[in-house]
Amino acid sequence: MVSGEGTSSAPHARLRDLEAAAALVGDGVITLDPTGRIVSWNAAATRLTGYTPEDVQGQPISLLYTAEDKAGDLLGHVLRNAREAGRYETEGWRIRKDGRRFLASIVIAPVIDDSGGLTGYVSILRDVTVRRSDESMFRALLESAPDAMVIVDGEGQIVLVNQQAETLFGFTRGELVGRPVEMLVPQRLHGRHLQHRAAYAASPQVRPMGMGLELFGVRKDGSELPVEISLSPLHTDQGLLVCAAIRDVTERREQQERLKRQRDEIVELSTPVIEVWDKVLALPIIGTLDSGRAARLTEGLLEKIADKQAEVVILDISGVPTVDTLVAQHLLKTVQAATLMGATSIISGVRPETAQAIVHLGIDLGRLRSRNTLRDALQLALQMVHDRSDSAVEAAQTVRRGIRE
Amino acid sequence: MSAPMDETVPIMRIGDTLLIALQGDLDDSAVVRIEDRLAQEVARVSARGVLIDVSGLTVVDSFIARVLARVVSMIRLLGAQAAVVGISPAVAITLVELGVPMGHLDTALNAEQGMAMLRRLRRDAVRDDDRQIE
Repeated sequence: MVSGEGTSSAPHARLRDLEAAAALVGDGVITLDPTGRIVSWNAAATRLTGYTPEDVQGQPISLLYTAEDKAGDLLGHVLRNAREAGRYETEGWRIRKDGRRFLASIVIAPVIDDSGGLTGYVSILRDVTVRRSDESMFRALLESAPDAMVIVDGEGQIVLVNQQAETLFGFTRGELVGRPVEMLVPQRLHGRHLQHRAAYAASPQVRPMGMGLELFGVRKDGSELPVEISLSPLHTDQGLLVCAAIRDVTERREQQERLKRQRDEIVELSTPVIEVWDKVLALPIIGTLDSGRAARLTEGLLEKIADKQAEVVILDISGVPTVDTLVAQHLLKTVQAATLMGATSIISGVRPETAQAIVHLGIDLGRLRSRNTLRDALQLALQMVHDRSDSAVEAAQTVRRGIRE
Repeated sequence: MSAPMDETVPIMRIGDTLLIALQGDLDDSAVVRIEDRLAQEVARVSARGVLIDVSGLTVVDSFIARVLARVVSMIRLLGAQAAVVGISPAVAITLVELGVPMGHLDTALNAEQGMAMLRRLRRDAVRDDDRQIE
């Protein structure tokens, strides 16, 4: 050590300890005199820079600097900062003996003797070129992701966002980083989001957020947007980070809505109940009969029966491509429900192959009246209505007689 | 609620037909009293037909369906015909979805059609009886 009188052996011992420790992790440990000249230089430093201790003994540490840094008096700046703050950390490009550059992470601290005088500096040098390239790759990945990415730490603070997140939410990076992630969640959902966030931190795994729920984000201007979010945990040296990939699904939701509306319309269109005669309804069924459609069809038919006081219902199945067990079951249920309301059902449009299929499947249509064509069915219906009105007249006469008696 | 109700369930007589309108919420004891009174009344006036209106019931479930089946077989045993009227679309769908067997019940949309149905049933029954006698 180049130092004044009165330097105890303790700092040397400490330095040796430090050197030994630093050698283990492959860091360069360099001691400098108060002016920044190299006093000691460990093996790791040689490995990093290519300079042997003999090469650098007595040389200013700035021999590793780039030309610009040398010109800009980086050395004076570094030493001053270290002296004033007691510790200084920096990162920058340095030059090896063979002229190649490497990215160095440097920690430098002043060595103070017992009387408070500066005896030199100790500096730890680490090559972080690889880490930097990892990090730049990570950042490039983040930026190139198609989705908005927001990375949040264990406390729910935003750590990192990408360009897409800025665009999606209308905040700049500066406005987001370091703020709670709840700023991107609508106010009304804050409580729930906090709970879910805590639950996620307890068992982090890759999964979509809010399975089965409709998720919303909020933009800077306060407008909400429907989103889909995938969560993945990142285990880093900064603890658990959570990476949220956010996708705007406004368009998809709208499409789904439109699709649903159209489907409803088609269903409405495909189950018309027609009053073909007094007290006679006809229901031409066209297309495949699934349970949803069958339910709506039954409902529509029964309401029409009540509304029109219909006595006979003709179910025309000539437009049903295939009658299988399920379709037959739906038909039977419709017929049963109509019967309960007091309306008699007639099936029409049973094609030969349909009749064969029904018999071969062993479907029991009970005592269901069936006719080949709608014309025949209508004839039967009118006959039934006629018979009934006859008996209704008789019934009315009976009632009148009963009252007279 | 049901106790005073069943006492006041009116059984109206039109010619040889009885008309009973079930109302509100029926529990076991109410059902027993109604069955009792109806059986007495059918026998007393030698009714040929009974029209049961269920449109005033708050719920029609499998319990009520069983009750109706019992009442109808009782009426048939007493030599009369029975028709159930006033099943709403919603009730019809529920009963079918529950799979309650209602096939043996004769149902009609309203009282007028119910009366016509009773008449038809009676005519058919007479025809069947004649055939059996022959």
